Amino acid sequence: MSSDDLAGDVPPLTEDIAPGTATDPPVESDDAATVTVDGTAVDLPPGSTLLDAVEAAEASGAHDGGTAETVPALCHYDRAEIGPRSTCRTCMVETDSEGLVPACSHPAEDGAVVSTDAERAVEARDVNLDLVLSNHNLRCTTCGKNGRCDLQDAAIENDVEEPRYGVLDDRDQYEPIDDSSSFIQIDRNKCILCNRCVEACNDVQVEGVLRMEGTGTDTRIGFQNGAETMEDSTCVSCGHCATVCPTGSLVEKGIEDATTIQIPGFTQKNSVGKTYERTGESKGPMTPKKAAERTECESASEAERVDATAKETAGDERRDWP
Amino acid sequence: MDHDSLADRRAVIRVPAGHDAFADATTDAAAAGDETATADEDVTVARVGPTGIGALDPLVTATADGETAFYADPGVDLTSEVAADLADGTVGATGDPLTVVDHDPDAATLPVPEDTALGVGLRRLLRGAGWHRPTDPGDHAAAGGFADAGLEDVVTAADGLVGRGWGDWCHDEDVSPTLDRARDAFGDVAVVVNAHGTAADALLAESVPFSVLEGADLLATALDAERVVLYLSEADETARERIETAAERYSDPETAFEVVAGPAVHRAAEPTMALEAIEGNHRLEARLRRPGELPVLDGAPALVHTARTVAHLGARVRDKLAGLTPAGRMDTRIVTVTGDVASPATVELAGTERLDAALEAVSVTGEFKAACVGGRFGGLTDSLAVTPTPFGLTHDDLGTEGVVEIVSDERCLVEFVGRRAQRAADTNCGRCVPCREGATQLTELLRDVYDGDYHRERIEELLRVMDGSSVCAFGVEAARPARTAMDVFESEFEAHADGRCPASVCFEPVEVPQ
Repeated sequence: MSSDDLAGDVPPLTEDIAPGTATDPPVESDDAATVTVDGTAVDLPPGSTLLDAVEAAEASGAHDGGTAETVPALCHYDRAEIGPRSTCRTCMVETDSEGLVPACSHPAEDGAVVSTDAERAVEARDVNLDLVLSNHNLRCTTCGKNGRCDLQDAAIENDVEEPRYGVLDDRDQYEPIDDSSSFIQIDRNKCILCNRCVEACNDVQVEGVLRMEGTGTDTRIGFQNGAETMEDSTCVSCGHCATVCPTGSLVEKGIEDATTIQIPGFTQKNSVGKTYERTGESKGPMTPKKAAERTECESASEAERVDATAKETAGDERRDWP
Repeated sequence: MDHDSLADRRAVIRVPAGHDAFADATTDAAAAGDETATADEDVTVARVGPTGIGALDPLVTATADGETAFYADPGVDLTSEVAADLADGTVGATGDPLTVVDHDPDAATLPVPEDTALGVGLRRLLRGAGWHRPTDPGDHAAAGGFADAGLEDVVTAADGLVGRGWGDWCHDEDVSPTLDRARDAFGDVAVVVNAHGTAADALLAESVPFSVLEGADLLATALDAERVVLYLSEADETARERIETAAERYSDPETAFEVVAGPAVHRAAEPTMALEAIEGNHRLEARLRRPGELPVLDGAPALVHTARTVAHLGARVRDKLAGLTPAGRMDTRIVTVTGDVASPATVELAGTERLDAALEAVSVTGEFKAACVGGRFGGLTDSLAVTPTPFGLTHDDLGTEGVVEIVSDERCLVEFVGRRAQRAADTNCGRCVPCREGATQLTELLRDVYDGDYHRERIEELLRVMDGSSVCAFGVEAARPARTAMDVFESEFEAHADGRCPASVCFEPVEVPQ
């Protein structure tokens, strides 16, 4: 094997990884703090956020076993290297000093007073949870994560019976289910863009496969080599993305129907009617040649950026109204 | 600094840079591309930047012996005749000048013709626009530029200075606290001048770039800055070229200037996305902000101010060195009037003036119906009887971006805010739910009005959440057009829910059976 081949199989250097996400500042506290949540004082070590305070108050058993109101914090994943992304904003709480803030990405400052049941905070969490549901296809009965889904849990805990803005049920808007990988199935119709998978792939596994791409309604999880399917990506099938996914968007193959309510003829795979199948073409070793793929990634990103700019500068008239 | 200034020349004809035909008409030498050329031994031809008044473009002025004649769009032939007359020592005798102004023979700033659109407001930051050669430091120096100031001068001048525009980290807030934080990181700070996307910032960069560079250099001097970055939109090519050239010609800056262009999309002006663009991220999305701390650029604490803010800082430092007290100083706001007008205009108003004063610089096409005040996601109002300051504007839920978009009676406001909501849904960075999904659902709720479903409470609930929980100002501000339109023009929404469009824009006319 030549040295070039060896170079192609090694993981990418971190500076070559392009996850498409912003470089956030650290949001944890520098010092230990005592924070009052719904009247309960909790002590927190350095490196804490207000969400830690809320969770500590819940654990302390105040108010008959928790805080005054449930704080879903859907996109939050309480492990180092992943988050806080603070994208879903279902963790909004009211503070005495700074008003409405996202608990997951606000440092726990000594003396802070937090209310989970302030009217504005409850409204923000409820509306944002419904906004998340508005772009989720909610086909729970054929979903492999039915019963072990963070979004489902949050909706149940918040007594959501009829989301304000409905759910993603327009078949024309559905993205095909990506069933092309032997190991992981992707259903972007269930993705809430929490970014956990992107961080697991890039910051923990340092594989540089997944990225956030697009803008506005076109925002989606894609591949850094510009591939359309998992099969054509540089995925090494480590499975970390599926492990951290809060919904049924990334599920290990073989258990994608594990918790599906069995109705003859209906499965997760055929639930939206469009599927990317595995081509069966051999691509050699399980770990693709990353170095070569990454070269394509850079040019694709630039072309994509230019396209996006042209599209966005086209003006208000590019769509019909109403 | 020792610079050559136009103020020292006997006779000067100023033609707009970028209009080569005008310069050609006055001298062959000018065609070579010099900013300054000599038509004959007595007349200097200078290529100057735009004034900001679109209705006067291209503006040619002829100056000699303390008199200046102003010609709006005179054409090449008349320009040639004006130049010939100037060589004979005559000003304003040829053609039909807009006006002739008497002034100090050594005038280093534009002698303002009060009876024209240039006389609207007062020209403080724009005093050299249309008068100075943009990339020649001599004219800026003659006007008192390149102040020799130290840390304390800058700190004192910054006291009470409010950041201009949504591209400023201190938008509508006093810049002093961030300056204090930056002083704590003395020697390790990056100064970022955000001139992306707003007409006023682009005008400053295009017409009087030294006033922007000077403000940045003052901050760099005060903080011993490690980097100074001028950030502009890829779409503002002329502004970028001018500020690049001016940066090269800036004499002995504290820190070398870098000029970086960002994608020509609205969100790229948001301060954290500006930093992402400067760092070279291929995809721009908002960063989280840590309360009470500066953002970072490649690891270094960064001050992010708009071109307007730093130009104001420069003007304040000059005032201070000239002995002017804060009480004797006039703070201004630059305002661009656009939309349903014959030609846009950028003027500078005193903080005590009313916004409607800016209308005197434009010709509204059609009948004034409303104005969207504050840029793309400004607030809708039927009255501009408000001061251009944050205090005056936020009271009426209007934006402080310094843009007034006129909406004539031929346009439909429900359509207007619907399209703004659609644009917000299409062009947000995609990061947070209240902005990304909120703008999408807002668009749908506004479409529902056309089907007879106008639920103001549901729309207002969504707007409150977008405003209160979005990661950055994009989502916060995207809520404003619909919110203000429902407040001021609710009858239009009700009419649409009844199947009528007061402006006769939105519905197909019903055919009457024969």
